[in-house]
Amino acid sequence: MTGLAAPALPARYRVAGRCAETQDTVTLDLRPVDQAIPELLPGQFTMLYAPGIGEVPVSVSGVSPGGGLVQTVRAVGAVTRALCAAGPGQLIGVRGPFGTNWDVTSAQGGDLAVVAGGIGLAPLRGALRAALARRGRYRRIVALIGARSPGELVFAGELDDWRDAGAEVHVTVDRAVAGWTGHVGVVTQLIDRAEIDPGATTALVCGPEVMMRLAARELLARGIPAGRIRVSLERNMLCGMAECGHCQLGPLLLCRDGPVVSYDVAGPLLAIREL
Amino acid sequence: MTPDRGEAPAPDVTMLATHAFLRGMPPEAVALLARSCRASTVPAGRRFFEEGEAATRFWLLRGGHVALEVHSPGDRRLIVETLGRGDLLGLSWLLPPYQWQFGALAIADTAAFEFDGEAVLAGCDADPSLGYHLLRRFLSAASGRLQSARIRMLDLYATPTEAGAGP
Repeated sequence: MTGLAAPALPARYRVAGRCAETQDTVTLDLRPVDQAIPELLPGQFTMLYAPGIGEVPVSVSGVSPGGGLVQTVRAVGAVTRALCAAGPGQLIGVRGPFGTNWDVTSAQGGDLAVVAGGIGLAPLRGALRAALARRGRYRRIVALIGARSPGELVFAGELDDWRDAGAEVHVTVDRAVAGWTGHVGVVTQLIDRAEIDPGATTALVCGPEVMMRLAARELLARGIPAGRIRVSLERNMLCGMAECGHCQLGPLLLCRDGPVVSYDVAGPLLAIREL
Repeated sequence: MTPDRGEAPAPDVTMLATHAFLRGMPPEAVALLARSCRASTVPAGRRFFEEGEAATRFWLLRGGHVALEVHSPGDRRLIVETLGRGDLLGLSWLLPPYQWQFGALAIADTAAFEFDGEAVLAGCDADPSLGYHLLRRFLSAASGRLQSARIRMLDLYATPTEAGAGP
């Protein structure tokens, strides 16, 4: 796909694999049928089209050789329910990639703190894996993950792999169940306990907006400057090309200027109730 | 203020002052606290206290992992929150009815500074400056717990709508 039509035209992808992460969340392994969409970076998103139903923005959790995409979808409406139900062989339309990325390489030489809440871990997975693939270029890599309950933790099967690759991974849940021996409490409490060097830390934060604001507040309190805190924002992304204006947040069109936004820019905007 | 138990010496004041809870406290206040304190270690599986028991002490955790629990019928225990390094364990010793509102179980070997609540209260009565510095910190810890509880009540990770963008 080339030219102006490319971002507007869905490329055909086939579901090659499907992994149920939780009761309502599925990770799809998508492979291009024709030409793949352009190469993307962790933090960017695509528009996924369920034929005959509709299109939704979905962050990218990873890539696979040959232009494959790993995308995690939570069933919360008609389109996402259809995507979650898609089995191997089913065709899905993909537009993108869109938006800004985590710019994880800029954290090299210092500590990297990843703070995720709920399915917010999905867009951070790619950044974490990219950093772990070049582990020697970072000092500490710390992943602080919050989930509603142990059963609602996404990528639970990968946490030990990340630990083995050199990350400190801490998980906390809002509600424990019998047998849970991990943390219980909000993810922001883990920030206070994390062993990081605030003066040399880049923090990547994704989750519900309230959680991101609280996490950013805690990171700022630890001494990490706003310019080294990045959050992933969401509004009504529709066109993905900064044309329709549905994803406007103040001066930003988040499909182009986001989803990843530095907190020195995002913080003041998130403080405005009307936005 | 005197150490409540003879078997363990009061910890080094400098070491005590480095605990996150006491950071910034005037050295003379830390020195007074140290006289009511001992270093303690609680192995995994052992309880600090049970819900409903008399609350007479508090701990500043130096490492490990502690679960605050309530019990429900059938001796099922529900974890309210977990605490770790840098945290305060124990608020009920400070206010009537001086009974633990939750139980506390070490779920990993846990090291702490353990304080005799009665001696600390007596010290605060004798020196209001110590009481001021200490109560500010307890209020800060209680405020943090309250905020965390409120955030969890919001159930932020519950099902969102589809209108927004991914994830």
